[in-house]
Amino acid sequence: MKNLIIFNLAKVFDLCKVILIILCTVSTLFTGEPNETDWRHWSSGSAYLLPAGRWEVGVFQSLRYGYSASLELSTHPLAFLVMPNFNVKWSHGCYRGFNLSTRHSGYYPTPLLRNIARKGTGGIISPEFHIPHLVSIYNEVLISKSIAKGHLFTGKAGFCLAIKSGKLDERTTIDLPLVFPRLNVFYQGYGFRGGCNVEGKLVSRWNYLADADLFYYPSGDEKIAFEHKGLLLWTKNQRFQLCFGYKLTYGEYPFGTQWHLLGPLFDLVWAWQKN
Amino acid sequence: MCSHKSIFLKQTFSSVMMILIFVTLNCDPLVERFEDVENAIWYAAKKQTTPPSNADTIMVMSWNIRFGIGRAPWFGDSCGDQVIYSEDEVLINLRGIADKINELQPDILLLQEVDVQSKKSGYVDELQWLLDHTYFNYGVYASYWQVQFVPSDGLGRINMGNAILSRWKISEAVRIPLPLRGDQDALTKYFYLRHNILKTKIDLPGVDNFYAVNVHIEAFSTDDTKKIQVDLFKDELDKLAGSGKAFVAGGDLNLLPPGSDSTDYCDEDKCPGESFHGPNDHPQHKEGSNYTPEMTWLQGLYDSYQCSVPLAEYLKDQRRYFTHTTNPNSFWDRKLDYLFTNYKWVPGSEVTHQDILDLSDHAPVSARWEVPK
Repeated sequence: MKNLIIFNLAKVFDLCKVILIILCTVSTLFTGEPNETDWRHWSSGSAYLLPAGRWEVGVFQSLRYGYSASLELSTHPLAFLVMPNFNVKWSHGCYRGFNLSTRHSGYYPTPLLRNIARKGTGGIISPEFHIPHLVSIYNEVLISKSIAKGHLFTGKAGFCLAIKSGKLDERTTIDLPLVFPRLNVFYQGYGFRGGCNVEGKLVSRWNYLADADLFYYPSGDEKIAFEHKGLLLWTKNQRFQLCFGYKLTYGEYPFGTQWHLLGPLFDLVWAWQKN
Repeated sequence: MCSHKSIFLKQTFSSVMMILIFVTLNCDPLVERFEDVENAIWYAAKKQTTPPSNADTIMVMSWNIRFGIGRAPWFGDSCGDQVIYSEDEVLINLRGIADKINELQPDILLLQEVDVQSKKSGYVDELQWLLDHTYFNYGVYASYWQVQFVPSDGLGRINMGNAILSRWKISEAVRIPLPLRGDQDALTKYFYLRHNILKTKIDLPGVDNFYAVNVHIEAFSTDDTKKIQVDLFKDELDKLAGSGKAFVAGGDLNLLPPGSDSTDYCDEDKCPGESFHGPNDHPQHKEGSNYTPEMTWLQGLYDSYQCSVPLAEYLKDQRRYFTHTTNPNSFWDRKLDYLFTNYKWVPGSEVTHQDILDLSDHAPVSARWEVPK
């Protein structure tokens, strides 16, 4: 079992290396526009914060608000109806070209899980199980640095913790990509996440974003999950952006390991400035 | 009223979002559709045993093992509430099944309802487990329900199917698809079972061209799906017989022998709160419990091939050959499981193992087959 985990980790790290090499190559091939890019806009995954008073929201992405120069608030409005959630990003300034911030988030999935634990069509979890109150708290550090003109690299690492009001039966797992790695914390108690993003300008209004995230839960049988996303972004102006791309996932599930290629991803993002 | 509406909207929203995220974004097939004839999945026991090299008769057995949950009240077939069983619960039953197999010593075993990667049975690969805990050397598997995620009742991931276990090497194994139910809407049909015939060629010493064929016919259709499936099963056997090949065939046919006294089991199978046969009842019959319109559908098999329990024997003492019940607390009340051959069963060798009550909702059936010399 230990050998298998090491082998899987090695595979994931190899893949991370390949993705990183591709990202660096891409970022050097495209030199970008001479204008300095304002990373505070359209860049939710970096250490940069939205300017104070600016709002950004997507159909599937979070609603973000620049509260002040050092604080950004966000929530996922669609998910909020059934899974209350919040994010606070706090800027800690810039040191020798490295922009540093921390992100603190929490969500309460109990209403969502109770809604989908039912008989018949739409029953994602068997109704025989009781879902206790569950809260996940996640804290991470983000460090961003410009790696070439118009290209930004962000490294991130974090720790997540679950708080439960009672026992959560292991048979309630939702063994699907994207979902299982995020809910796994409630079965394992705690876990770690790390990863990186590279984003930058391609040509004209076109930008790219690529990221890689590793989930690690040391205490369970299903320890590792990996996600990589590639997006092309088309920015009409300071108020509208369109993006599409794909997501590649690998994970250890209760039934074994599996890769998934998910796509196409698609989103529309709007922004506005409140003075 | 408002709160009900709000709950309904929330539930609908949650489910739709979860399903949409997966269904629309996943490039892998959500449901394996098995539209063509294809090779079965091959298995081998971790430790091999030496099979008999010279046998005058071999024992053939068919058993629907109900994915290792014994007589537990599963929501899908016995008015139960439980959907998902733990690995420990399943392993206890599999241990019992393996013990019985080791005691009875069949040489060829036809299994139905074998889970190899299903959430409902703790993701136990039951075929591999049985191979590793019995004396069988080889196994083949043909799935009839392979879905990455069934978004209903918490079923989740499912991979269930037919299997054949053999002491001797299996040299060919194909999965032949059977038509889907004709009485379901498109969405239900998409996620539903896709039955098959598992046809294998087994290297039985001294016999050229020996085949074992396993089938699980649809249980709950209310149209002529069962007839179409049984006719296709017979067509496959006819092809083997027509080309001079010897076969043993069987499985869970979900049909009663022609001439059975009881043909309507709606009362026996109904769950609390259900009512059938009344003037205001709709439907009039419980799905899968009224065999009355289907009573002649096995006649062709009986006419063409030797059943391990000849029809005349069955009609003399029907209760002795019953193999199934839906009620976890009842004794067997109907015969659904069969063995056929185009050669010879050893007279009097048939056993309906009615004493095995707690390991499945089906009793295994076995008989000794005379090896042609």
